[in-house]
Amino acid sequence: MTSKDLKLIFSDGSGIIQPILLGLILVFVFSLSTPIGEEVSAQAAASIFWLATSFALILVFNTLYSIEETNQARTGLLLSPMPLQHVWISKAFTGLILLLLAQLFFFPAIIVFLGQENVADWWALLGVILLVDWGLVAVGSLLGAVSQGHASRDSLLSVVIFPLLIPLLLAGIRMGAHLLGGADDESLSSWAGIAFSFGAVFTGAAIILFPFVYNEY
Amino acid sequence: MTDHSMTAKIIPALAITGAAGLVIAQYFIWVYAPVEATMGILQKIFYFHLPLAWWGLISFFIVFCASLVFLITKKPVMDRLAQTAAEMGLLYSGLALITGSLWARAAWNTWWTWDPRLSTTLVMWFIYAGYLALRQSIDNPQKMRAVCAVLGVVAFLNVPLVFLSARMWRSIHPAVFGSGGGGLEPEMMTTLLVCIFAWGILTIGILLYRVRQLDIKDRIKSLFVY
Repeated sequence: MTSKDLKLIFSDGSGIIQPILLGLILVFVFSLSTPIGEEVSAQAAASIFWLATSFALILVFNTLYSIEETNQARTGLLLSPMPLQHVWISKAFTGLILLLLAQLFFFPAIIVFLGQENVADWWALLGVILLVDWGLVAVGSLLGAVSQGHASRDSLLSVVIFPLLIPLLLAGIRMGAHLLGGADDESLSSWAGIAFSFGAVFTGAAIILFPFVYNEY
Repeated sequence: MTDHSMTAKIIPALAITGAAGLVIAQYFIWVYAPVEATMGILQKIFYFHLPLAWWGLISFFIVFCASLVFLITKKPVMDRLAQTAAEMGLLYSGLALITGSLWARAAWNTWWTWDPRLSTTLVMWFIYAGYLALRQSIDNPQKMRAVCAVLGVVAFLNVPLVFLSARMWRSIHPAVFGSGGGGLEPEMMTTLLVCIFAWGILTIGILLYRVRQLDIKDRIKSLFVY
């Protein structure tokens, strides 16, 4: 399924170009909020990075779940001899790949437009991004199917998902600010614990609850 | 379908008891409880703020429980209870946020501050506003019920994480029911308990009334399905 989804998305490119463009525009627009000559704080830069990622998440999962809307392909998936949780896992994995790809563009934009060049530890930063992305795709893949077939699915999904993501985004912002050279944060491991707990709770919840969301009614 | 003969008897009793309780609570608030030394008469808003905040959060917990039971049993009454509790929780937590903001302006000289309880309540308000928006957006009633039940469950699973993360960010909110009573005078504590009880009775009455109303609405709607 992941291979099929990636082929379909990269066949016309629109499914990935839109989230990347939206994120880049967000970073650029926020860079205008700082007067010329003043530096953007590491915390503000991390906030903008995760905000761009959140918007990308909405677009990515809307695209991923809209793939099966045509030709009753969703019914085909429901009839296939596999647990429905496999659909959630494969969509989450595809979403993770696409989100990381989008972040590959967002991060240089943060460096260029927001002047964040003092990355303390690249490997730790990658670890933080993967940890937070895990929680993001767990929720995105669970609730992405909610708006399937809905005319205003982007706005509907944003209203439902964004408030749920707040603890994860706070963790991402604090850890990101620390690694972008912001003030020392002694509670870094606690924030990592919040992000890990979020990923674990929503992965567990999704495995149990996804069939209720995706089933035919 | 719910047992209308039973709820029809209970609802008026709860409504009358709740209304009488709120009238009695006014005596406790304005006559029995002393005026707070530093904040003066404005402190009285606390007797509305705290019961609303508590019953708002309890309503959100009812959404979680009813959603869970709905996913297991598929009983429509549980879906109606979840919807009703979400509506009540949204109303109560919204009023708690407004009264809290008025309080904060007088006590801390700010309308809003980043505090675990404030932030958690606001985040919950957003989540359940999204929950009610979702209910309006899905045409298929079976799908709507299942999807909203899932959201009702995951929304409440998120609460401890929201609270912890908001507390780690920073906090200045007072602990009312902390160790040693949080510094409240005994008369104030009694008044607070009377208010919580009165609001609780009224809340249960409104919950049952709204569940019954939704049940009747569904029955009327089903009369016109061909």
